[in-house]
Amino acid sequence: MFSTLKKPQNIGIIAILLLAVVMAPSVTSYPHGASGVQDSGCACHGSQADGVTPVLDGLPNELTPSMTYTLNISFTGGPSGEDPNAAALGGFHLWVSEGSLSPIDGDDKVKINPDGSATHNGIDGEDVGTGNDQTSWQVEWTAPAEGGAKFTLHVNSVNGDGIASDLDDWNRLNAEVGPQPVEQASGLTVFASSILLMITIVGGCVVWVFYRENPDSFSWDYFVPWLSDWLTTTDHKKVGTLYFLSGFFFLGVGGLFALIFRIQLATPGNDFLTQDEYNQFFTMHGTTMIFLAAMPMIAGFANWIVPLQIGAHDLALPRMNALAFWLNPAAALLIFTGIFSGQGADVGWTGYAPYIVSHTAHSGATLWVAGQILLVASSTIAGINFMTTFCTMRAPGMGWMQMPLFSWSILVATLMLFISIPAFGIGLIQVLLDRTIGTVFYEVAAGGDPLLWSHLFWYFGHPEVYVVVLPAFGVISEVLSTSARRTVFGYKSMVFALAGIGVLGFIVYGHHMFTSGMSPVLRFVTMLTTMLVAVPTGIKIFNWLQTMHGGSLVYRTHTLWALGFLVTFTLGGISGMYFPAVAMDLHLHETYFVVAHFHYVFVGGIIFGLYSGIYYWYPKATGRMLNEKLGVMHFMVGFISYNLVFWPMHRLGIQGMPRRQHTYFITTDQYFALPAEAADWNMMITIAAFFFAASNLILVYNIVVSALRGQKAPNDPWGGWSMEWLTTSPPPTPSHDPHNLPVLQFEEEHDDGDPGLFGRWIQWMMIAEDGGEEE
Amino acid sequence: MSYDSHHGDHHDHPSPFGPHDWSHGAPHNSWAPIMMAFGSSIFLLGFTKVFTQTWEGDAWSYAINSAQFGLLIAGLAIFTAGLYVFWRQDWSFDGIEFEPKSVGTPFRGIDIRKVAIWMFLMSEMMVFSSLFSTYLRYRTGIDNCEALHAAGTLTDGTVCWLPASYFIAEGGWHQETAHAALKFMPDTLIPGAINTFALIVSSYTIVLALKTAKDRSLSDSERNRKVGKYLLTTLLLATLFLIFKLVEWFVGFELGDHDHPLFYSPSLLADGFTIHASDYTYQVCNEWHDHHCAEGQLETYTIDIRMAASTFYVTTGTHGVHVFGGMVALVYMVIKAYRGGYTPDNAVSIEYFGLYWHFVDLVWVLVFPAFYLY
Repeated sequence: MFSTLKKPQNIGIIAILLLAVVMAPSVTSYPHGASGVQDSGCACHGSQADGVTPVLDGLPNELTPSMTYTLNISFTGGPSGEDPNAAALGGFHLWVSEGSLSPIDGDDKVKINPDGSATHNGIDGEDVGTGNDQTSWQVEWTAPAEGGAKFTLHVNSVNGDGIASDLDDWNRLNAEVGPQPVEQASGLTVFASSILLMITIVGGCVVWVFYRENPDSFSWDYFVPWLSDWLTTTDHKKVGTLYFLSGFFFLGVGGLFALIFRIQLATPGNDFLTQDEYNQFFTMHGTTMIFLAAMPMIAGFANWIVPLQIGAHDLALPRMNALAFWLNPAAALLIFTGIFSGQGADVGWTGYAPYIVSHTAHSGATLWVAGQILLVASSTIAGINFMTTFCTMRAPGMGWMQMPLFSWSILVATLMLFISIPAFGIGLIQVLLDRTIGTVFYEVAAGGDPLLWSHLFWYFGHPEVYVVVLPAFGVISEVLSTSARRTVFGYKSMVFALAGIGVLGFIVYGHHMFTSGMSPVLRFVTMLTTMLVAVPTGIKIFNWLQTMHGGSLVYRTHTLWALGFLVTFTLGGISGMYFPAVAMDLHLHETYFVVAHFHYVFVGGIIFGLYSGIYYWYPKATGRMLNEKLGVMHFMVGFISYNLVFWPMHRLGIQGMPRRQHTYFITTDQYFALPAEAADWNMMITIAAFFFAASNLILVYNIVVSALRGQKAPNDPWGGWSMEWLTTSPPPTPSHDPHNLPVLQFEEEHDDGDPGLFGRWIQWMMIAEDGGEEE
Repeated sequence: MSYDSHHGDHHDHPSPFGPHDWSHGAPHNSWAPIMMAFGSSIFLLGFTKVFTQTWEGDAWSYAINSAQFGLLIAGLAIFTAGLYVFWRQDWSFDGIEFEPKSVGTPFRGIDIRKVAIWMFLMSEMMVFSSLFSTYLRYRTGIDNCEALHAAGTLTDGTVCWLPASYFIAEGGWHQETAHAALKFMPDTLIPGAINTFALIVSSYTIVLALKTAKDRSLSDSERNRKVGKYLLTTLLLATLFLIFKLVEWFVGFELGDHDHPLFYSPSLLADGFTIHASDYTYQVCNEWHDHHCAEGQLETYTIDIRMAASTFYVTTGTHGVHVFGGMVALVYMVIKAYRGGYTPDNAVSIEYFGLYWHFVDLVWVLVFPAFYLY
């Protein structure tokens, strides 16, 4: 299939076709059209001739805003001049980009088209002196309130036989008046071009990686087997790498969304994005970041590290694992389909009913829901796989309480995810059916209850935030204990804190619905339970601090990110404590304070934790060390710019800047007052956001360059003692020898021969295949 | 064998389509995951449009609409092909299958796949819990039409709950007029009752299949035949279940003379119990006279019962989809059984399917009273 690409001329043809496809839509947007004058609304006939000279008089040199000017349109030359008694002499079509055209009072020779352009009135075959019988016309133009305008004038010189024929001639004149705006691309075009660029770069990277694997015996013949090996792989390490590639790609896409709407929000009253585009962009930003960036990256870590860490040769269900991964890009396909048709989901990542089932929601919302259903399937399959792996494939000697904390965090996160996500899935199926076959689950007119959607969504949605943050906790526990060169302080309390968060996470979701009209009793209950979450989280924070206190800290890049995590996550946790208090929540609800809070925990907690994990495990995965200088630079730029982006949002939120709104105004209005400083803060946030985005490019550069020229990594570069460091770097396949699994040797020897009370109960329930009552 | 280098030995890899020897534990390549993932994606892409488009207009819009339908079919086809690859790889055709065992406590020695199926059932529990939450929310939150009528507050255009059991257990408007073959019960409940017994019996036959497969006293050919027979019975009972359900929804039963039928059970569709029933005609007769409503005693209301219908069809439909999924698996298992795939040492997949099948059965035992009787 790729053999056709070997011929250079074929590549050339494909490139030209691609270019044509890219160019075609933009060309039609010029007023004179891609295929000549017909597209611009001018029904000019005959051929374009230089002999016809259009004249547009009456345009001022200095434009006065909103003033009305009388424009004289005429032409000379062409076939019309010779017969004064001809049936028709000519016509015109005047298009203007700004301001409005109108006929002079009492003038029936000019009419205004529905699109605002002006043309002659009437087709005159009888020579009675109407618009078609002229070579000059007058029209009034009211200038816009600010800025200049562009004019495009077409005139048609007609030979007078009353028939539109090839004997007629026409010509075009372009004119400008006043200050011209800087050419602006629409946000959608910028986004689509960026995606196209990213796909091109990724495609290039794939080919380049293929080449780099074995430059000496490079041959295209091996490309298809190599690629199909990646597409069909079920090895947990390769699937983990695929998860990372997908996660990084969508982290970039979600970041682009954020940068584009940060441009929109940089100044008050901006219109870089339309309101419609803004709604789609913030919806897709949230969806992409949580479901297509954070979750795949966590799954990437889980895939790579868990089997290595618990001493398994692979995951329990390798093909199911590959299926769970491939559902992600398949779902992304659906989720993004709407965006490219200009009808992307505009429902917010929460997709609140009843808007999501209404006809005013974009049609892309249907596909957004369909895509989310596939992501639910993916998470469920991954959950089954990981839970089974934890239950059955821990190495001999590794009891539950000997499992490393990262594995524990993935275990708790997976359990939470896979108990909560079916509720979301069922809600999505209901919405999908509402939007397609016409069921009425959230149709208020038929008795549907929007609160039910909120319940189903947040029953999943709140555990979900712990699902993404717990793995980061696990990474930090590993990193800090290795960096402090001691075991983590209070291992058992760490495990119980994880489990405690796992339980509490299910009974706090009501705090997302304080303003929704939920029962006041439930509000009170969830207020208390939400505050309780601070207890296990606080235990973890203090255990980490105590780990460092009793240890001797080594400041590698992953340690820096872990320390950064401690700062930002604690700040995010403290700002989170404002929300369980119902009265405070009612005040801060739907403001930038909320945005500040959850970005402090999502970015400062999860992304920082994952970055720490990348620096920590990269040598294990690739066999190369990451460049430490670039790593420190990444941390310094990233940490500072990150805080510059999100810290001022607290202030903006308290000042009353609402989230999810297209723009804001600096006003002295009593109820919607935003002080003038808000504009400055927003501008600063936008600038810092670009720095933060740029800091991530340092990481990408570091990953690529170190993969090529990095120092060779030893098996255990940091002195870690969990089982992944037993293997070579990169680990072999299968990861541990299935016939000779590692055995955990512990100070307090765990008697794994005795399954314990719970274990005996399980074995009684499940009737072991060997022995038992089966003869 | 080397997986890391693409040069040289890639022809020695086991085919990503074909059967594998799983016993050495190395990862195996498979086209199944990517086919199943993108198949379902393409299916949903078609699905979202098929129901919302209008079948009107010129040839071009017909072509576009057909293309949407084509997407749906293509998606299903790709998914099915992926599933085929998945099973083809699993099935070694020599009766010896590799069954990985758990090494960690507390599940040591137990098949890994058995733990996985229990995990799967745990998430399935949540699926049906969510559906039942929806049901409970609306059942308790929306006034019952019959209760409103009894209280005298039912008016035209009221949004109220007319449960499926009104049509099924009580016979709806037909309860008085039908010439019931069985006097103690309206005919409309019969298909549901048969279905319930069909599912319960099929849970028994799947256990018989497992028991037979593990029976060492039988000769191989006899065992294959008997296991196949029991699995086929299970499959037929499941098919009966789905057919009866679809007949009950869309077709209806009628036996004997039309005016005096022996058995009369109109479909829910014919009775107007649909998700679009925003103007359902609800009739109440205060006094019956010889199978006809007495003069002036008939009350007619136009009411909105869409929510009851949505809940009913989606909950029982989700259960039906689970039955259908089981049928697809059973087709594979029947073929495998007749070709000697199940031996006393290798009958575990019947057991795992049985776990799922019992679960589906159990869900029906909850769905049936909640939607058909109450």
